[in-house]
Amino acid sequence: MSYLDLSIREIHEALLNKKVSILDLTKEAISRAKKDTNNAFECILEKEALEKATKLNDTIIPKDNYFYGIPYVAKDNFSTKDIETTGGSNILVGYMPLFDATVIKYLNEAGAILIGKTTLDELAMGGTGTSGHKGKTFNPYDPSHTHMIGGSSCGSAAAVADGIVPFALGSDTGDSVRKPASNSALVGMKPTWGLISRYGLFPFAPSLDHVAYFTRNVEDSALLLNLLSKHDDNDETNSFKTRDDYFKELNSNVKGKKIAVIKEIRESITDKEMNKKFNESLEFLKNEGAIVEEVSMNKDLLTSIFPTYFVISCAEATSNNANLDGIKFGPNYGGKTYQEVMYNVRTKGFSGLIKRRFVIGSYSLMSENQHDLFLRAQKARHLIVDAFNEVFKKYDCIYLLAAPNVAPKFDEASDRLNNEYLIADNYLAFGNFGGYPSMTIPLGFKNGLPYGANITSKPYDEKSVFNLALNLEKFTHLADVSFLNYKDKEEK
Amino acid sequence: MNFEAVIGLETHIETNTKSKMFSTAPNTAELEPNTQVQLLDMAYPGTMPRVNKEAVRKAIRIANALHMTIDSTIYFDRKNYFYSDLPKGYQITQQARPIGREGYVEIEVDGKKKRIGIERIHMEEDTCKQLHFSSYTLLDYNRAGVPLIEIVTKPELRSGEEARKYVEKLREIVTFADVSDGKMENGSMRCDTNISIRPYGTEKFGTKVEVKNLNSIADIEKALDYEVKRQSELLLSGQPVIQETRRFDETKKETISMRVKTDAVDYKYFTEPNIPPIQLSDEFIIDAIKTCPELYDAKLARFTSSYALNDVDAKIILSDRALADYYDECAKFTKAYQPLGNFIISNVLSILNRENKTIIDFKVEPKYISELVDLLDSKQINSNQGKQIFDKVVKENKSPLIFKKELGATLINDEKLILSMIDEVLKANPSLPADFKAGKTRAQGFVMGQIMKKTQGKVDPQVANKLIVEELNK
Repeated sequence: MSYLDLSIREIHEALLNKKVSILDLTKEAISRAKKDTNNAFECILEKEALEKATKLNDTIIPKDNYFYGIPYVAKDNFSTKDIETTGGSNILVGYMPLFDATVIKYLNEAGAILIGKTTLDELAMGGTGTSGHKGKTFNPYDPSHTHMIGGSSCGSAAAVADGIVPFALGSDTGDSVRKPASNSALVGMKPTWGLISRYGLFPFAPSLDHVAYFTRNVEDSALLLNLLSKHDDNDETNSFKTRDDYFKELNSNVKGKKIAVIKEIRESITDKEMNKKFNESLEFLKNEGAIVEEVSMNKDLLTSIFPTYFVISCAEATSNNANLDGIKFGPNYGGKTYQEVMYNVRTKGFSGLIKRRFVIGSYSLMSENQHDLFLRAQKARHLIVDAFNEVFKKYDCIYLLAAPNVAPKFDEASDRLNNEYLIADNYLAFGNFGGYPSMTIPLGFKNGLPYGANITSKPYDEKSVFNLALNLEKFTHLADVSFLNYKDKEEK
Repeated sequence: MNFEAVIGLETHIETNTKSKMFSTAPNTAELEPNTQVQLLDMAYPGTMPRVNKEAVRKAIRIANALHMTIDSTIYFDRKNYFYSDLPKGYQITQQARPIGREGYVEIEVDGKKKRIGIERIHMEEDTCKQLHFSSYTLLDYNRAGVPLIEIVTKPELRSGEEARKYVEKLREIVTFADVSDGKMENGSMRCDTNISIRPYGTEKFGTKVEVKNLNSIADIEKALDYEVKRQSELLLSGQPVIQETRRFDETKKETISMRVKTDAVDYKYFTEPNIPPIQLSDEFIIDAIKTCPELYDAKLARFTSSYALNDVDAKIILSDRALADYYDECAKFTKAYQPLGNFIISNVLSILNRENKTIIDFKVEPKYISELVDLLDSKQINSNQGKQIFDKVVKENKSPLIFKKELGATLINDEKLILSMIDEVLKANPSLPADFKAGKTRAQGFVMGQIMKKTQGKVDPQVANKLIVEELNK
């Protein structure tokens, strides 16, 4: 047990009380990072991190600046000044950004110490944690490396779950933080679209992209949102609403809170053990005074979430990555014409999976197909959001299992047309369609592998999400769980 | 058979805002290549666009000047295509919801007013400038992101002359509204034209040809006239007009085929997700229109009414917005508006023409010009003295009152002094009063000549004449 394994607030207190120093904390994190066996890192920033830690080490720890001296990692699709940022793609190997993403800047200003950049599915596209240029990222809870951790924020999830750092930045376009969080017993938070600046996050599909993050408990999640959600003029979609003090307003009282369980999504999950645990959590919430009701939704809408997501995200992705053309970004392999230059670099630089997505996106935007594909997907998105908005008129939260099962095996093929896949495995994207605040929390373990539950609320109602999540920590006893301590936690 | 031309124009105007359309880089593309560039202009991953308010304001002014319906919600779209001059791989433009729809401009053809319908105007961003060499191409990102306004006419122009007049009118609007310098020669105004011909009296459009590379307003007329002739000859000889893009060769004065249009490029438009729809308040729109600098027609009306300038002079002064501004400045210091106009046209302009300069290069304080005009108008100096003083004012940019003193340029209008001189002349020529009364008006001129000679022309001729007549009549 090290101070690194405590919550951010506890580490901060230990720093204030001089029980541990920033330098020791950073050294410990780097030493753990170097022992990483899960392929979590694109790069470990030992020199930069130690320099900063040394600089901060002799300064007075500012009280209530909870992130001062706290080591963290960021997914390698956040622009970091003078630090190679690849987006997990060969095409960007060697790219040195000239600027920090806004969230990196905020953390840097607060004194947090970036110790590494983490792996991801190539350009954040994919949910398996296997398609990045560094290969598969593994799940710390499965030392045999047969189960995935999921993606696309695989490296960030692995680093936090493995106890290397207490929090990590990720991005979530469909479920890229919330799904791996479910697979690795983490709190994965994706706040309302527009609450955290996306400036400096490599765009995948901007209308769905969110800066999201992993912590090991709900309180840390609220603390981090306070820091990250500061308004930023560089992102024109960033909200002008006054931000709540999510940390101060944290409470676990759910008396009278109305919680909806979507019947069709619940029924698409068939795992008995997980359903049993989920049902127990519902009973717990009822005992705590919450009003839990099953709500029915149009199943066609729910099975449309995945295809809708796929069309919109691929379409936007083709456009966002069109700058990677070998002229400004990506290696120039030469060519007689500009077309040849672009063709060469994009052929060599992207994996087959990415090219497939670009083709699908491009195809759905072509004028002869746009009506049947892209515009239809936009309409479907509206219908889906309208349906969920109806639920949020009556309920504070939607609460469900986050996934149909624990982390799948790498070689596990899923039947892509059954309900389990179409609904249970992909429904979390509704949170991106509506820009809803949505959080995955650890719920339990099955055969040593974790699974999570998801809480989603209406836009800007992060408070309800934190509130319910904090209450559920009393049920799960899984706050601060990591691979290093999960056996002790499970025994509780 | 006679043919009627059907012409439509797409004009791009580079807007003279301080910064670019979506980035904070300065909008000074003409400076050292690749120095006026922000991260967004080079499409650095993760950068995001921010709409330039001033560019929106300027687009509103043009929409208003073109009598268009202004959309109070601003939407942007992405136009996706791969090209070496396109940094992001897409251009941010307004496809679905242009800021202005359905307007018109009025031009004068054969003494009659004609309205040319404007289909749409929208805002977008410029691309890189490319410099092609035999084995490589250089890119200048200074121009990438410069705000553009695109103005699209309906196919309502019927001749090269009409097209020229339309572009002249447009140029006048954008320059007077201070939206652009409207210079075609340096690309701040660019025109693409579409032209087809059809027999008079028919409704069906002929095959459309696009003509590009028009670097002056005169070229537009020449290129279109050439096309009408070329297409007519083709049809009369039984050959079809091919749908293609042609460019105008300035030296040969003819259009040359660039490429035959196959399928149009599919730009795969979709809404720009990084710019939420922007709701413009009525206040913002009204303010943009109210603060628009005075346009040509309003200025002409004011110059001919408030200043009571004659129409010809007013139009000469208004031929250059900066000259009109200079006149306005001068007019603050004098009430002699027409003499001021005359002076500017015959003196100021002639100096500028002689030195091949424009009014922008003319550094004389407007107040000094007004003082000089007043001196002349009140006959305190004569035109000869005026010229001498003007030369000095231009050279030293100092008040003419100083030079007037230096030159001793005061007209003698002291009646006693003038009377004594008249007396002197009459004493030496005692027959003059009798000659005068007998109808020999030469006598009057003789006296005037004598006293002018004596004073080297410094006598106020009006005062002197009055006194001479009185004395001769005694």
